[in-house]
Amino acid sequence: MRSIQTGMSLPLASVKPLDGLMRYRAYCLEQTRFALRDGIRQRERSPVTGGPLVPFGEIEGLSYVRCPESGSLFLASVADPQTWRELLSSVSMYRHSPEAFHFGIADLRQETVYTPKLGWIEETLRLQGVRRPRLLEVVTLPSDMGSLLRASGLFTDVVTVEEMLLASGRAPMPDEEPVQTAVLLESLDRVDDPAALVQAVVDRLSPGGLLFVTGLVASGFDLATLGIRNRYLYPPDRTNCFSLRGLTALLAASRLSLLEVSTPGMLDVQIVQAHLEQDPRLGVSPFERQLLESEEDTHRAFQTFLQQQRLSSFTRIVARKEGGASA
Amino acid sequence: MHVVIFGYGYMGKIRHQVLRRHADVQRVTIVDPKLSADTTPLDGALLPEGARVPWESIDAAFICTPNNVTAQLCADALRRCRHVFCEKPPGRNWDDFTRIAQAAEEVPEHTLVFGFNHRLHPAIEAAKAMIGKGGVGDVLYLKGTYGKSGGARYRQSWRNDPHVAGGGILLDQGIHMLDLFHLFLGPLQLVETVLADGFWNCGVEDNAFVLLRSHQGVPAFLHSSATLWKHTFRIEIGCSDGYLVATGLLSQTGSYGREQLVIGKRQFEDEAMALGNPREEIIHFDRDESWDREVTEFLAAVKERRPARHGTLEDARRVMAIIRDVYATASIASPERR
Repeated sequence: MRSIQTGMSLPLASVKPLDGLMRYRAYCLEQTRFALRDGIRQRERSPVTGGPLVPFGEIEGLSYVRCPESGSLFLASVADPQTWRELLSSVSMYRHSPEAFHFGIADLRQETVYTPKLGWIEETLRLQGVRRPRLLEVVTLPSDMGSLLRASGLFTDVVTVEEMLLASGRAPMPDEEPVQTAVLLESLDRVDDPAALVQAVVDRLSPGGLLFVTGLVASGFDLATLGIRNRYLYPPDRTNCFSLRGLTALLAASRLSLLEVSTPGMLDVQIVQAHLEQDPRLGVSPFERQLLESEEDTHRAFQTFLQQQRLSSFTRIVARKEGGASA
Repeated sequence: MHVVIFGYGYMGKIRHQVLRRHADVQRVTIVDPKLSADTTPLDGALLPEGARVPWESIDAAFICTPNNVTAQLCADALRRCRHVFCEKPPGRNWDDFTRIAQAAEEVPEHTLVFGFNHRLHPAIEAAKAMIGKGGVGDVLYLKGTYGKSGGARYRQSWRNDPHVAGGGILLDQGIHMLDLFHLFLGPLQLVETVLADGFWNCGVEDNAFVLLRSHQGVPAFLHSSATLWKHTFRIEIGCSDGYLVATGLLSQTGSYGREQLVIGKRQFEDEAMALGNPREEIIHFDRDESWDREVTEFLAAVKERRPARHGTLEDARRVMAIIRDVYATASIASPERR
C-alpha cells in the first residue's frame, strides 16, 4: 500500500474560503431541514461496524451521531432516497450558480482541485499498468470532473451515473458491460447509504478493477480539532464524515483491497486558523494555539507531518476489486 | 511441488517463510550441514546429516549458501532438477558465474533465476513507470548510494572473507544497485573505479565508487559502502522533464528508513514555482511483496515451462561482467588513518 505526500501548498481562499462558504452552508442547511420536514429515517447503526451510534452534537437543529468504534460521524437522520436525491441535486445546482462561492473561483478550483485529481488518476493508472479503461463516474449532476475526464483521453468510455440512483439500486446503466475503473469523488460523504453505494460500484467493476475515492475524514486535524464547531461539517455535503479507519473498513467490507491510502490535504492548519480568526475565543488547547500562532514555516512543517502520518482531513484512496491480477 | 533449500542462513530462512505460504509448494527440504536435526528440527524439513538429497522427487532448488559453494551447487542442481533459484551474487567471480552459465546451457528447458529482488520493490517499480512517457521523460543520469554500517561481527562474517565471498561490499550489496542501473539504462560499460578498504581491513573493499556509462552515453555513478554508519539506500534518477529519488527500503529491520519515491517535475522560471524549487510529490510505501513476488514468478515459470521475467541469466551476466571489470582494473587502497 502506498500513501502520497504533496509538496504543493495552496491558500484556503483558492479552494474553499471560509467567508464565502457561510452563505453556501446556510443554503445547504436550509435545504436539508426542508428535505427532512416530511418524515425522516433515523440512522441508528453505523455503516462501518453495524454497531449503535452515539450522540455527537448539533448543527443548527441538525444532529450528528458518532460511531464509537471507528470515530466516523453521521447525520442522525436522512429522508427517503428520492427526497435525498432531490436534495443533493438542488445543492449541486446551487453550487454551480453565481450565488455560490464556487462560481467566482471556478478557474482556481479547476487548477487546484480538479486537475490534480485527474493527474492522480492518470498516474495511478500508469503505475498499475491499466490502459484506456472504461470509467464509471458516480456523481450528482452537474459534474465538476465529467468534461475533464472525457477530454483526458485516458478512458475508452466515461459512463456517468447519479450516485443516489446507484445507491438505491435504481441507476439505469447504458449496458451491462463492466467497467475497469470507477470514481467516487466525495460521493460517500453525501449519500444516505454509503455501504450500498460502495457495493453497487463494486458490482459494476470487473475483477481487478480500480476504485478511486476522495472525501473528508473526521480523523483529520481540522475536523478532529474543531469537531462539531467545524464550519466545513454540514449536511448534505457531509452527511457522512468517516474517519480514515472507518472509510477503509467500509471499502474492505466490500472485498476491495487497498492500494493507496493518503491524506494529501493542504488546508488543515489554515482551516483552524480561519476559524480562530472568525472567533478568537474559540476553545483550542494551549498547544494548538501556540502552533497556530507560530511562523509559517512551522505551519508548513506541521501540514507535511499531517500528510506523512495520514492525519490530514482530506483523503484519497485507491482500492482494487479482488479477483484480478495485481500489478 | 517439492522444493529443496541449500543453506539456512538469513536468506534461506526468508525463502523458507515464503515457500511455506505458497500454494504450489507441498514440501520443503532444507540442507544445511551446520544444523543438526536434533537441535533444529524445522518440522522435519531439515535433511539429517549424511542423508542423500532426494533429487528424484525435487522439483526446484533454492541456493542460499555462502558464495564459495554457490556455483558448484547451482550447476549440480541445474543438472539434477533443472529448476534453480540462486541468491545473488551468482558466484564469487566471473569464473564461478561462467560455470553456472555453462551448466545452464547444457540443461534443456531449465529455469534459472537469480535473487535480484530490488527490482520488485514498490519505489523502484513506481520509478520505472514514471520514466519516458510516464511523465519525467528520458533518463539523463543515475546516482546510487547503497550502504550499511557493518556491525560488530563484520570481520568474522564469511561475506567479508575474500576466500569465501570473492569480493567485498560491491559484490555483496552494490550488486543490487548495479542491477537497478541495468534495469533503468540497459547494458553499461565501466568508465572508472576507486576501491578502498579503509576501515574494516578485511582484504576486500569496504567502499566502492564506480562510474559507468550506458550504450546511449547516459552516465551512472554508484557508491557502495560498508562504512555508512547510517544505513542508506538512495537512487537518484535525473530525467529530461523531472527527477525521481527513491530512498529507504522496506526491509525486515526497517533500518534503511521508510521506502519512498520523490517525484519532481522540471519547472522553468516562467512557470508557477520558483526556479530550482519545483513542486514535489512523495509516495510512501508500506508493503514489500518483493520476496513473495520473485518466488511466485520463479515457480510460475517452472510450472508454465517458460522463461522467467526477471533475475535472468542475462541480468546476472551484465552485473557480473561489470564487477569482473571493476576488480580487474582497480586495486584496493587501504588509506592510512591518522
